[in-house]
Amino acid sequence: MDLYPIFDWLDTSLLADISKAYGGVFAVVQMFHLLGMSILGGMVLVGDLRLLNVVMKDTPSEVVIENTHKWFGIGLATMVVSGIFMSSAVSMKLYYNEMFWAKMTALTVGVAFFYFVRRPLLSNSHDAIKPSVLKLMAVTSIAIWFTVAASGRWIGFS
Amino acid sequence: MLNEWLLSLARFFDAQNWSTQIHESIYLYAWIETTHVLTLMVFLGMLFVIDLRMLGLAFPNVRASVIAERLDKPMMIGLTLMVITGVLLYYAIPVRTTQSLWFRIKVMLFVLAAINAFAFRARMQASVGSWDTDPKPPRHIRMGAAASILLWAGVVVTGRTIAYDWFDCHKELPYAMYWAAGCVDEMAAFASE
Repeated sequence: MDLYPIFDWLDTSLLADISKAYGGVFAVVQMFHLLGMSILGGMVLVGDLRLLNVVMKDTPSEVVIENTHKWFGIGLATMVVSGIFMSSAVSMKLYYNEMFWAKMTALTVGVAFFYFVRRPLLSNSHDAIKPSVLKLMAVTSIAIWFTVAASGRWIGFS
Repeated sequence: MLNEWLLSLARFFDAQNWSTQIHESIYLYAWIETTHVLTLMVFLGMLFVIDLRMLGLAFPNVRASVIAERLDKPMMIGLTLMVITGVLLYYAIPVRTTQSLWFRIKVMLFVLAAINAFAFRARMQASVGSWDTDPKPPRHIRMGAAASILLWAGVVVTGRTIAYDWFDCHKELPYAMYWAAGCVDEMAAFASE
C-alpha cells in the first residue's frame, strides 16, 4: 500500500503550516516527544530489567509489570501524537527517508510485540513461564525499543 | 570577565585535534549523540518512574522507598553516560555551544535539577518512614517530584533548542542578549559604536 497520499496531505495540512512557521512550537512538541519516549522507555526498562532479575528483585514481577502498562500507553500516545506533528514539518522528506521507515517498522514491531505477545503472556503467573522465555522476551523488548529510539535519532543524520 | 574566560576555554578546546576529528567524523559525532539520547531515555525513564511514584500516579502498591532505592543505580548509570556523552558533544563544537543562550540555560536548569534532586532525596529519606506505603505521598514530596519533572523537561527542551540559531552571535541582537549568550566580540563591537 502506497502511503504517499497521506504524506502529501500532511505536507499541506494546518499542522504543517504551524510546525513549519513556528520553530518554538516545534521545539516544545519535540520535548514532549522525548519525554513520551522517556516515560515509555522507563516503563519498558523497569519491567524488562525486573524480568531479567536486575532491579526490584524483592517485588513480584507480576506487580512491577502490571504497574507499567498504564504509563506505557501514556508514553506511547504522547510519542505518536507529537511524532505526527513533527512529521508534518518535513513529511515529504520523511517519505523518502529510509531511516524513518526503519523507525516506523521498529515502532510497529514494538507495539505489536507489547500488546500481542508480551502483555498477554505476562498476564499469567510468571512462575508458570519458563525463566528463559521471560529473559528472552525482556531482551527482545529492550532491543526493539532501543532500535526505535536510535533509528529516530538517525533520521536527523540521514 | 566570565564570558571571556569561557570563550578562551572553548577556543582552547576548539584548537585541539580531537575536537575537530569528532566534529568532522562521518559517524562518531552521530553515534555520540545517539548514545546521548539513548542514555537520556534510561536516565529520564528511571527518574519518571520514581517521580510518578512520588506524585502518587504510578506503582501505588509498591513502597516508595523500594522504587527510589532499587532504581537509583540504573538511573545513575544513565546519568553518568549521558553526562559523558554530553561533555563530548560540547567538546566537539565548543565555541558555538559556549555562545549558545540555550546551552547556558540548559546548564543552569541542570544544576537546579541536581540541587532539587539532592534536597528531594534528603527530605524523602528524613520522612519516608511515615508515608512509605501510602499510595499518595505528602504534599512536600509531591512538590519536589513535580519540580524535578519540570526542571528536567526544561533541560530537554533547551537541549533541543541549542540546534536553532535564533540567538546566535552572528544575529543582530540587543546588548543584553549578546551578554547572556557570551558573544564577547559582538559586545566589544557594540560598545565601540
